[in-house]
Amino acid sequence: MKQSIYLLLSATLLIVGCGTTSKLNKAQAYKGMYEEKPLSVLIMPPINRSTNVDAKEYFHTTLNVPILNAGYYVIPPFLSMEILKRESAYDSELFIERPSLKIFNKIFGADIILFTKINKWDKSSLASRVTVEVEYILKSTHTGEILYSRKGTISYNTSVSTGNNFLLNIAASAINTAATKYVDVAKAANNYIFTDLPKGKYSPMFGLDKAEMAGLKVIKVRL
Amino acid sequence: MCIVAFAFYSCSTPKGLYSFDKYQQASYNYLKKADEKSINEIMVQYQKIITKQKGIRKVTPPGMFADYGFFLIQRGDLNKGKENLNKEILLYPESKIFIDRILKLIEK
Repeated sequence: MKQSIYLLLSATLLIVGCGTTSKLNKAQAYKGMYEEKPLSVLIMPPINRSTNVDAKEYFHTTLNVPILNAGYYVIPPFLSMEILKRESAYDSELFIERPSLKIFNKIFGADIILFTKINKWDKSSLASRVTVEVEYILKSTHTGEILYSRKGTISYNTSVSTGNNFLLNIAASAINTAATKYVDVAKAANNYIFTDLPKGKYSPMFGLDKAEMAGLKVIKVRL
Repeated sequence: MCIVAFAFYSCSTPKGLYSFDKYQQASYNYLKKADEKSINEIMVQYQKIITKQKGIRKVTPPGMFADYGFFLIQRGDLNKGKENLNKEILLYPESKIFIDRILKLIEK
């Protein structure tokens, strides 16, 4: 009964849709994800190629939440950062092109590794808009294959972030408006990209979303 | 039924498996500053996530007991820290490989 309700819900989702979709369903687009059924995800520090020096941290600290909410086990972010630093493995550039990532399975128990590349971070001075271009790549530690990859150019309106309350806005700007806003930019981009991720073991939709249409691999969106 | 489903899956703010309150902002502040204030701030967030879960699953999300334990250990509260690391393994057995490694490092 429960299963049939979920099936019905996902069928409804197909009709409702959430924006631009490809012509493939998730089972076709993310075949490896359904075959390997990864559980544990290790987040590597983002590779920052943008001109904003803080972009790495904006993204790094907001990647685990959408993946957790998709039903995966995410290896504790701060503990794993500590170990990566100790093992001199904190530079993702060293690993992103490596054919074998088995060592990460041995040390962290990770099934998949998330690499991110921040290519652009542009702030328009007139409209309070930030446009980021980011690539997300999930690689299997068992096979070294790419199981999920998306590249997004995401434009986000930062003026809506702190709400409309005048007093609250003043209070927020006294703390650090810029950092708060920019964490929101990264959050929005990460959330958007991972809406397409097949659901993991801890989600009630695990294994039931194969028929949903997959989003495009390269997307451009205004949020 | 469709309307119900739509409300459930609407693109705006669907309810997540877990709730995180201001954890992401606190994580950023800690990563950037690592001062006393930012550590206090993130500790408060872990306590909220652990004790006041409002997500669909109603359990502490993966990684939270472990990272909270890590902060406790850094503050010198070894026993409580280890206790939290063990809670992570109990709730999420897939973390055992990694957490056991951490526990061994602490014993050294």
